[in-house]
Amino acid sequence: MSRQFDVIGSRAPRKDAPNKSTGKAQYIEDITFPGELAGALLQSPHAHAKILDIDTSKALALPGVVAVLTAKDVPEVKYGVSPARYDENLFAMDRVRYVGDEIAAVAAVDLPTALKAVELIQVEYEPLPVLLTVEEATANDAPWIHEEYPDNICAQVEQEFGDVEAAFAQCDLIQEGSFFSKRQDGAFIEPNQCVALMGHDGVLTLHSSTQVPHYVQRTVAMVTGLGMSQVRVVKPYVGGGFGPKASATPIDLAASFLAIRTGRPVRMAYTREQVFLFSRARHGFTHHMKIGAKKDGTLMALDHQATLDGGAYSSFGIATVYYAGSLLGGPYKLPNMRYAGRRVFTNKPACGAQRGHGGVIARALFEQQLDIIAEKLGMDPIELRLKNMMETGDVTCNDLAMSSLGMKECIEAVKSGSGWGEKKGKLPPGKGIGMACGFFVSGAGYPIYRSETYHCTIMIKADEDGGGITVYTASAEIGQGSDTTMAMIAAEAVGIPLEQVRVKSGDTDFGIDLGAYSSRTTLMTGHATKEAGDNLKAMVLETLAGELGIQAARLDIKNGLIKISGGPVDFSAIRTGYIKEHRGWQDQPQSQELTFREAARLAYLRRGTLVATGKYKPPVLGGKYKGATVGTSPAYGCSAQVAEVNVDFETGQIIVERVTDAHDCGQAVNLTSVEAQMQGSVSMGLGEALFEEVKFDAQGRIINASLGEYHIPTVMDMPEVRCIVVESGEPNGPFGAKEVGEGAIMPTIPAILNAVRNATGLVLEETPLTPERVYQALKKQKGA
Amino acid sequence: MLLPPFEYYRPSNLEQALALLREMGDQAHPLAGGTDLLVNLKLKKLAPKALLDLGGLEELKGSRADGGQVSLGALNSASRLASGGPHVPRLLAMGAGALGSPQVRNRATLGGNLVTARPAADLCLPLLALGARAVLTGPQGSREVSLDGYFQGPGYTVKEPGEILTRVLLEAPKPGQGGGYQKLGLRQALEIALVNVAAHLELEPDGKTIAMARVALGAVAPVPMLAPSAAQVLQGAKADEKSFTAAAQAAAADAKPIDDHRGSAAYRRDMARTLTLRALRQALAQAQGGKEVGA
Repeated sequence: MSRQFDVIGSRAPRKDAPNKSTGKAQYIEDITFPGELAGALLQSPHAHAKILDIDTSKALALPGVVAVLTAKDVPEVKYGVSPARYDENLFAMDRVRYVGDEIAAVAAVDLPTALKAVELIQVEYEPLPVLLTVEEATANDAPWIHEEYPDNICAQVEQEFGDVEAAFAQCDLIQEGSFFSKRQDGAFIEPNQCVALMGHDGVLTLHSSTQVPHYVQRTVAMVTGLGMSQVRVVKPYVGGGFGPKASATPIDLAASFLAIRTGRPVRMAYTREQVFLFSRARHGFTHHMKIGAKKDGTLMALDHQATLDGGAYSSFGIATVYYAGSLLGGPYKLPNMRYAGRRVFTNKPACGAQRGHGGVIARALFEQQLDIIAEKLGMDPIELRLKNMMETGDVTCNDLAMSSLGMKECIEAVKSGSGWGEKKGKLPPGKGIGMACGFFVSGAGYPIYRSETYHCTIMIKADEDGGGITVYTASAEIGQGSDTTMAMIAAEAVGIPLEQVRVKSGDTDFGIDLGAYSSRTTLMTGHATKEAGDNLKAMVLETLAGELGIQAARLDIKNGLIKISGGPVDFSAIRTGYIKEHRGWQDQPQSQELTFREAARLAYLRRGTLVATGKYKPPVLGGKYKGATVGTSPAYGCSAQVAEVNVDFETGQIIVERVTDAHDCGQAVNLTSVEAQMQGSVSMGLGEALFEEVKFDAQGRIINASLGEYHIPTVMDMPEVRCIVVESGEPNGPFGAKEVGEGAIMPTIPAILNAVRNATGLVLEETPLTPERVYQALKKQKGA
Repeated sequence: MLLPPFEYYRPSNLEQALALLREMGDQAHPLAGGTDLLVNLKLKKLAPKALLDLGGLEELKGSRADGGQVSLGALNSASRLASGGPHVPRLLAMGAGALGSPQVRNRATLGGNLVTARPAADLCLPLLALGARAVLTGPQGSREVSLDGYFQGPGYTVKEPGEILTRVLLEAPKPGQGGGYQKLGLRQALEIALVNVAAHLELEPDGKTIAMARVALGAVAPVPMLAPSAAQVLQGAKADEKSFTAAAQAAAADAKPIDDHRGSAAYRRDMARTLTLRALRQALAQAQGGKEVGA
């Protein structure tokens, strides 16, 4: 990109870095209120059981207990994520469906008392058959986990684009493969927590560790029966989310009800074990794919089936099952695609959205199969990919429009950056190299509920003294850096240094923002921020132009200084006025040029407080078929990765030694933050590829619900990651920017799979690639 | 998760500590680094009335060499052991360096690792291979117990409730000795081993014949265990691939692994063999004073 920016594209230090590195950053746990009560949940010890009776009398009698709530104490309102699948009650009505299903909540003077009271609630259960696998749940005689969903099918998708059978008939090669992945945990560092307060003004304020203040506000309002104006959700600093924090939690709701009931602040927090029980993280996927290609490598058709083990409730699941199919429409030219997906209810915690929502394992299998096709056709895997790659302007068979696609640049970058040519086919035994590509939405094209709502609104207010601006946004900084991104976009738009911009975010009082999910914030909230910044700038310059008696078109703001074109203009009256107002001050403006400070002060003096707004919603996107909305986005980020691995043939252990990672983010807003997202994606993908699996016993209890037994990568497991940022300039993005948060994870698992195959010849069909799994496969290969 | 309420005592010498233990019996639980104890308290696996913080006991600190013997205080942290030091055997330092993470190593202690007695404990295997003895001090005085026989089951040892593990005794290192430590886990840190192996070799003055060897295996039995058949194969044999391979085979046969969610018995047995071979190679390289062979 030739465009020069003053703030965008730099490595500006993050706005939150000083607070976080000195411990001043306030998370929920750091915010306390006078008179707080501690809340605790009673959760089911059974994976599937009828509730015959609940006796709370002993709990209520315990000194220090202020309130005990069960299903009979709250409105019978079902909620969830997608309005088409509201299938959750805050407290179990008559049945529990997984170990951890919520039955009651207690508020007491302190946490030990609340926990003691929970133990005193007596529940009589009648155990029901426990369905822990897709096979068990779909067996003919399996009971239905929800009466409303026959045969335990939560959602089913059938789609065909083009004519798959006709295309297969023209193919020279048909390649088939399957893959089976495990349920993941989000493993964010801060367990979900919240504090709810009911004000005397009738407004409930919920402070919550969430990615989506707006959706939490809606869910709390809907379930409690309060109006949207009577619910305010505030998100302080948040220690990560990755998707599982993208909906209201039972503790958000329970704390709200307890606060309403008691009139006192109520705090609730999940333990790490409860984080695993709430889950809403990556599904376990089973995929089968049949891919047809011509001799020359042209990809012709994909026939794809997927089954998702969903757990006990829908959560994001409908979107997940659609994404698992739709995200294979690109980035390769694939004219014919058929998809049959289903999501099955089981008696386990509900799965939901996690980084790379729905697409990660489908992508892993597809990219693994591409490598096999390349080998069978005698092509280099990179050559095969380049041959089929879409270009900017292409539209997939399922109507996803690639308004910018730096995929070829990404492939070329990782090819040269990794030394592919010198390594591929020339490595010593045990060493392998593999590559893969992927893409992802840059913000979901539609809100979760059907609406014409703006996806985000922004308010920028200039200081009355003119010294800076404040961006008010309801968007959610969850550690990904969105506050800094918005500050940089606002600074660039207005034309002032970053230091003059403050950001206040994460509060539903600041407007509408759908939140931090679907990699939407940079593009969408960025758009609205840019619009507000442009408007503010125009207000300042219009006033100034009027004062100077010149055309506003002659004025611009750059680096905090007013640029006047078309000859000298006398602004001494403005400066004199400003200096007189600030007699005795040490920082009077002395520059040759008029400053933003003086111009913004003038604008305030002439028109009152300067407030500019911005808003964004995508245009109508996508096709007309059922499910066409899932996968639509105003833009798509894309990436390519090369992984280099060492496989120990005697133990089966895989060490990922290097990853060369190129991502097209359109335009980096903050280069360091882009690279951090790329590094984080590699870490999460590597964990899913090699280590991570939530395990259950035969009763449906999680046996590794701790970060000691559930293995996420440590810094010692991280390979050397070489990040290459590709900037294709997205026409639909603010200053050309699009996502990096999730697209960057797409190639990681298949790049590792392909590298392991390169090292061993093994086509592994199941993650995680534990040493034992690889060792047994090697043993089988040797014996075969 | 909350810590349950407990009384807290911090005796300033061993005598006081033993008196408190005698007074409270099994109501009191000694506290050293707390890396296991505090977790188990939160999980409600243990509910002692009182914790007896051993941190003030000088008798449990430091390390010294006394004639042909090294004495390591039970309160030595894993991080101190990992960084070596004048009296810390290299094999023990290797095991200590593989334990947990830097934060865990700063808290975890030598004595704690031995008393907690987990089957894959990173300090127990090197100490077993080194032929260490634990000093258990009780109301009747101190007794020395060989670690071979000390471990009784996961979390169980021959230590009586009234006793405190005060020190660990080892023979002072001699030329011609070498150690190897191999740990296989899913990840490279913060890991309980799938299988781990410590090997100790002593060569004859010829530098080629094995005078004595011990191989300790982790996560393949309810307790950290010595592989007697492996030691037998190695004693008096040439220190070469042939005898190492035979010893590795013997070690795998000595192992008594079970299936659990971390790994199958069959895999663990195979890994006991592979890691024993690697640990012996590593030990030989160290014994011969050459550069250490990598994993």
